[in-house]
Amino acid sequence: MYAYQLENNPYPSSPTPTEKDARILGGKRHKEAKSAILECIKELCNKVGGRDSNDGDFRVITLIQDVGSGKTHLALHIKNLQSRHNTVCTFLDLSTISPKTIPSLYNAIIKGFENEFFVQLRTKLVEYIRDRAEQGDNSAKKALDYSFMNKLSGLTIKQKVEEIISGKASVSAENLKKFLVQWFNYSESNLIRNIITNSFDTVTNLEELLGMMATISKLTHRFLSKIVLYEIDEFDGNQDSIEFVKGIINAHLPASVVLLISTPSGYAEIQGKSPSVFDRLEKANYKIDLVGSNSREELLEIVLEYIKHNDKKGKFTQKTQEELDEKIRVLYDEFPEFRSVRSIINILYHAMEKSAELDLEKIDETVIDETIKHTYPGLKVRGSIMAVPISDFISIRRTCEDESTGTQLKRAVTNLVNFAHEMGNIGKLEKQNQPLDVVYQDPYGSKIGIAVVINENHAKNFEEISNISKSSALVDKLVILTNSNLPSSESTIIVNVDKSKMVDLLYFNNRYTDRKISSSDNEKVQMLARTVNII
Amino acid sequence: MSKEILGRIASTGLSGMKKAELKKTFGKNSDNILQKLIDTKQIFVEKKGVAYFVWTRGNYVSYLSQNDPKCKIVLSMAVGKSHSAAKVKEYVNNIGETVNKIPQQNVASQESDFKVEFDRRLTESSTSIGWAPFSDIRKKICESKKISPENFYYMATELVERHREKYEVSSGGQEGITMRGLVHGYVRNV
Repeated sequence: MYAYQLENNPYPSSPTPTEKDARILGGKRHKEAKSAILECIKELCNKVGGRDSNDGDFRVITLIQDVGSGKTHLALHIKNLQSRHNTVCTFLDLSTISPKTIPSLYNAIIKGFENEFFVQLRTKLVEYIRDRAEQGDNSAKKALDYSFMNKLSGLTIKQKVEEIISGKASVSAENLKKFLVQWFNYSESNLIRNIITNSFDTVTNLEELLGMMATISKLTHRFLSKIVLYEIDEFDGNQDSIEFVKGIINAHLPASVVLLISTPSGYAEIQGKSPSVFDRLEKANYKIDLVGSNSREELLEIVLEYIKHNDKKGKFTQKTQEELDEKIRVLYDEFPEFRSVRSIINILYHAMEKSAELDLEKIDETVIDETIKHTYPGLKVRGSIMAVPISDFISIRRTCEDESTGTQLKRAVTNLVNFAHEMGNIGKLEKQNQPLDVVYQDPYGSKIGIAVVINENHAKNFEEISNISKSSALVDKLVILTNSNLPSSESTIIVNVDKSKMVDLLYFNNRYTDRKISSSDNEKVQMLARTVNII
Repeated sequence: MSKEILGRIASTGLSGMKKAELKKTFGKNSDNILQKLIDTKQIFVEKKGVAYFVWTRGNYVSYLSQNDPKCKIVLSMAVGKSHSAAKVKEYVNNIGETVNKIPQQNVASQESDFKVEFDRRLTESSTSIGWAPFSDIRKKICESKKISPENFYYMATELVERHREKYEVSSGGQEGITMRGLVHGYVRNV
């Protein structure tokens, strides 16, 4: 059992999405982009519904965003929805085709459709021939290989067709060809024959390829009343890709939508290599913008969507959701590595596996820590001197905004001074002298005073610092640790305590109080003391 | 009334106030209050000619240090050096603070200038989808601001990191800011 009592790990593990992974789509931006694509499909469906399609019934959509932002996931998600939106879809990943020859491109387009599509189309085409045969068209009867003997044995045309559809009988390839040329053009005849005989001819040039694509679209619209969505992923500055896409756009495939997926760098390459294609892309009917697809809020929504979708027992309550939300926020803020959909999904996949292994009810700090240690060994918290483990970092970071932080930091600084004294880095400690938090002598006998001024309200910090600065006469050197960004003066050294330094100090304090500072930590602690001007 | 009397005396500064005038203003009851203030050394009384004058503590010290030759000598002997040193220290501190504030103000205004210029160049260089190559922005800003490419990318990295919600970067390109070990050569406003 996985965390939140999920029966399966809700997160995909592959580095690139599969159609199965793409069934779930989360995130406001991604959902908006999905709506825009479906809107385009709906508009075209309405336009071509109940009439023959023509070359004006063609739409281009561009989807441009950085790698790992969820473009392919979105495209596959749309592909999964095809049956609900009067659409058939083929997904073509240009990066998987090399060399990008015409036959290989055509092959990839055909393979990109679901088998079910060809089964449906084949059925409709055979039924069309059946209707002709039943109306007395001998050529159609011959195409179905419906002989006099069949008739004598009592086999009807309908039964013969059912046998062909179920694969028990086959058509007469030669006669089918003769029949088709009477009613369809060259490309249509070839494609229908290919579909019915389940054997696709190779195409050798761009013209043929575009002809076949146009035919697929036309036949799909005529026989299935559906439009075709061509999803072309990884479109970039490759010359063959550019020629291919340019041909498609110029061909105005009937009843078709072409979704071109690229990255900003790919888009720039296209701009440099083919101004004419770039111009066509700039004039796309829809430009899907996944702006903010890697923002923290978007990633949070996506991540939570996976669990919600799989939460059949309702164990993923609002509270647990908020707890997980907090942890992901820290991961996002502190690790640039996790600022993309792909990477955050990956870490959560492993965290889920870990939760199952440890039989935990939820994903907690320890799980995340363990996961990061195993899947991203060597990953460090930015700016951490104490090498704070991720789990401690997450829990300390969460308390950093508490009102008690100031008091805890004062204690941490006092303990850090005590530590430095124990290590012989500083001289004797002196009696605390308000408003200073610690007073001690450095190795040369100079009197050092340290004050910690940490408030949410920075105006309050300025006021306190101004008051404390008046005490500079009491010591030879005054050090003020604060979370406000202020310059030092002649009499006062201001040390800015940012979040990572705060976490380091609090982590040190916990370890020191629990007497867990080992000899291997000594150097790190001394370094920490140096950064806050204690030694 | 005690506060009012003290305030009145303080307002007369180094010249002090005649005790008789105080009595006129605050009545005979003021005698007790004045005595208490004298006892607690908040005010000082001294006879000048035929009249008694009253000072607050601080004003009285200043009055003596300026008018009484003995006091002048003692003061200069006792605190002369440290007093001067304190004054010099105070002066240096003031200058130090001013000097410290200038670079900070400069840094802040430099950052703000850079952001304004960066946003302007980003708008100019971006395509219809909003993305712009860092290299285009870099060329323009380095030329107009007379800064080195290294400095530009340092400031651009800071800017993008500080305003993560405002900028989006994308990998690829020949030059740009490096994130997660990848060159991110494209940027846009969110």
